[in-house]
Amino acid sequence: MSPLRAKAPRSREKRLDTLGAWLGPVSAASTEFAGDEIAQRIRTFSQSSHDDLLFALRILAGIRDSVTLVHGPRGCAAAGLNHIAAGSNTRWAVTNLDERDTIMGADSKLRKSVVALYHRYHPAVVFIVGNPVTAINNDDIQSVVEELREELKLPIIPVYVTGFSSRNAVSGYDTVLHSLLKYLSGHIVPTLKNETVNLLSVAEHPQDRKEAQELIEQLGIELNVIPDDSTIDVFRLAVAARASIPLSPDAPEYLGAILHKIYGVPLIDVLRPVGIEGTGRWLKSIAAFLGKKDVAEELHGSKAAETVRQLGDFSLKGVKTYISLSSANAFSVLELVEELGGEVAGLTITHLDRLHVRHLDELAARHPSLQIHVSDGQAFEEISILRKLAPDLYLGDSTHLGQVARIGIPVVSLESLAIVGYRGVVRLVRRLKTALANNSYGHSVGKINSAYQDEWFRRSHNWHIKQEVK
Amino acid sequence: MAHHVEGSRNSCAQHGALQLFESIEGVIPVIHSTSGCGVQHYLGVTRLTGGNDPFGSPPVSSSNIAEKHVVFGGSSRLREQLKNTVKVVRGDLYAIVTGCSTEMVGDDIAAMTKEGRDQDWPVIYANTPGFSGDVHNGYHLAVKALIEQLPGIWQSIGEKQSRLVNVWGIIPNQDPFWRGNLNELGRLLEGIGLVPNLLIGSGQGIASWKQLPEAAINLVVSPWGELPARMLEELYSTPSIQLQGLPVGSEAGILLRSLTEQLGLDPLRTELFINREEALLNHQFARLADSYYRAGFQREFALVGESSQVVGISEFLGKYFGLLPRSLVITDNPPDILREALISRLSAIVPGYDTEVIFSEDRSEITDVVRKGGAQLILASSLELDVAVESGVPFLAVSFPLADRIVLDRGYAGYRGATALLEDIGSALLAFSNGRYAC
Repeated sequence: MSPLRAKAPRSREKRLDTLGAWLGPVSAASTEFAGDEIAQRIRTFSQSSHDDLLFALRILAGIRDSVTLVHGPRGCAAAGLNHIAAGSNTRWAVTNLDERDTIMGADSKLRKSVVALYHRYHPAVVFIVGNPVTAINNDDIQSVVEELREELKLPIIPVYVTGFSSRNAVSGYDTVLHSLLKYLSGHIVPTLKNETVNLLSVAEHPQDRKEAQELIEQLGIELNVIPDDSTIDVFRLAVAARASIPLSPDAPEYLGAILHKIYGVPLIDVLRPVGIEGTGRWLKSIAAFLGKKDVAEELHGSKAAETVRQLGDFSLKGVKTYISLSSANAFSVLELVEELGGEVAGLTITHLDRLHVRHLDELAARHPSLQIHVSDGQAFEEISILRKLAPDLYLGDSTHLGQVARIGIPVVSLESLAIVGYRGVVRLVRRLKTALANNSYGHSVGKINSAYQDEWFRRSHNWHIKQEVK
Repeated sequence: MAHHVEGSRNSCAQHGALQLFESIEGVIPVIHSTSGCGVQHYLGVTRLTGGNDPFGSPPVSSSNIAEKHVVFGGSSRLREQLKNTVKVVRGDLYAIVTGCSTEMVGDDIAAMTKEGRDQDWPVIYANTPGFSGDVHNGYHLAVKALIEQLPGIWQSIGEKQSRLVNVWGIIPNQDPFWRGNLNELGRLLEGIGLVPNLLIGSGQGIASWKQLPEAAINLVVSPWGELPARMLEELYSTPSIQLQGLPVGSEAGILLRSLTEQLGLDPLRTELFINREEALLNHQFARLADSYYRAGFQREFALVGESSQVVGISEFLGKYFGLLPRSLVITDNPPDILREALISRLSAIVPGYDTEVIFSEDRSEITDVVRKGGAQLILASSLELDVAVESGVPFLAVSFPLADRIVLDRGYAGYRGATALLEDIGSALLAFSNGRYAC
């Protein structure tokens, strides 16, 4: 049976044994994932963290000529303002469900909203996004969608995120991509294979996407970039492409797997193009797959030499660095920090699952005692870890950098810094240099008290992480 | 039945309650909901107010309920979260706020709060599902919880203080200039011998809320302050003085005179204070006259913001600065009974001039109104930057959300706020007329 027949994909926990809470040495993680049974962990104290709804909105913010309608109470669309501030051209709306709607249902309100938005913008696609309220009420979004698709001759795509059915926000990426592919699978005439190749870019920084795109295009390859900054039409091309290249092995995993399974588009197995060697490896693997090996060797040779020249004598030697990032990013930045001569003091990653096993095994062989902390948004644990490790530098992209700064460690935010490719290395090094050269702001911020009780800092960092009792 | 909203700027009740609790020092909100609520609040509210992030992160405690809690109930998860919050996070008061999911499931929040109280933890709660309304309702729910539940924790109610004034109606972050506005109101009250009880912001903790019953009067500066003022009147017979908007410039003088009369203060002292402030403001007007005429400051403007802001700023610009209020858009959905009064007040700012007053929170509708009005200066939120660029007119972000400004202590209320407003509008107009701001 096609996995696309379901309303939403299975959660990452179910597909990949994804953990959102874990702490221990990398050797233990490697051992645990070598087994068949991975025990889920939960927290007995927790702090806000992303959910699948927020990650779904991240992708939708980048689909061109689209309307995103959150069918829920008004606060479920709040993050839309942040996307607008960051330059998203998506039209954001919320059906604004009130108490009565949560009891009586709100199908007619949904219907009216879609029709009004359609007449105002004539978009190429409308997404209807679920949330806890519609999930708990089991609102009949589907029949409104089907009725209006006919009536308006418009792609209307329901995205069944819930805010609670997965503990890992990354499941939200899968849900959007599932919905897009599901819609297309019923609305696509199979075409002959074309010569294009897909670049799978999921919620990436635009500059990162551009960097990867330019590098591949220099190999003489024509690309379909999906889903970031794409349109429904690009998806139509993508299902008939020669192959797919992920810009990260993590976020686009589901998209790559479905394109392969349903449409026969092979997925090239590569890591993230971060760091000089990492970018070279990425390029060369792609080139090998597509029969362009020589071009890639030459391109890497000249770009790598140019990058090394630009870095001059910069080195992270003796700088203990802590990394706190989304999982695939963290492992590739770890390699980059080591490439620059630095030492990684520890890692916090948003989730850990079977997709990361190769990193765990490789690190377990080299640094068995390296500590891995799995958390999205659990600043209290991270702060406790950081106080103990006292690193010299912190690289992160979370929403709690303001707390980290209060410990007085130099912080570099990777939230809006593009680090992919050769140019990404140069850009990151410029940031690292400035952060290490002057931490006076860190000292100023460090005069503010931490939010936590001293008692907490005397506990073990994983005090509140427990195995889930089923 | 509420309509859908594009680019909603009024978020939800839970977020409004979080804003209020976060702005009181020592109060720790405990979110009992799905994990994303606090992040939505951080990304969609906190981040867009130019620097109002008390924790350096989203709120620091959230129960993050999962599917099993939706199916079997989440009360036990809240019990566990509350117990551990008290151990992990420093706080003088822990305030539970709920979300849509836990309210639909029907978790018994009052019972969990009582359990916490029985342990001697200072805990209050507010039922704040997002479907119950927007940030303004959330402000009401949080304030109501504090007024009703604090006496149950700290029983002692002190004597009335004849000079103490509670200030109500400024919603933290929804008014990005809330700190500056409150500081200036406080300075003005002190200027005539009163003691301000600002309740939120720097130095305002539980102690400020404990002395609520002791105040001589409530000063209400927006429609949203009316409910707490009424509650205090019923509970403690505290009278109120109610404004429709922030007093900007000489309006502040009018307010100080009525407070003086109502509370029997020394009128001489008040006049002396007002005269000094007025003289200073008059000098500010005079010092920018060259720029005013040379760069053509005098023009029609559009203003998009909350009712208290629109009233305060448009009256100041219209009655004292020679500008013409073309399109005034009120975004905070004030109660219907106030709307007629607002329309007649705002339409009369410049006699004989046609001012359009609209109530809307919908981005596309607001954009249409501003575009059609054809004003030559747009004072609005960052959501209106696009229409300013499209119309090729100067723009200043003055209301929530703010994407491109840092606001720490700046405010537009009072005499100092009037000066700040002249600086900011003047700077925007000059940069534009010099071609350095490519709108």
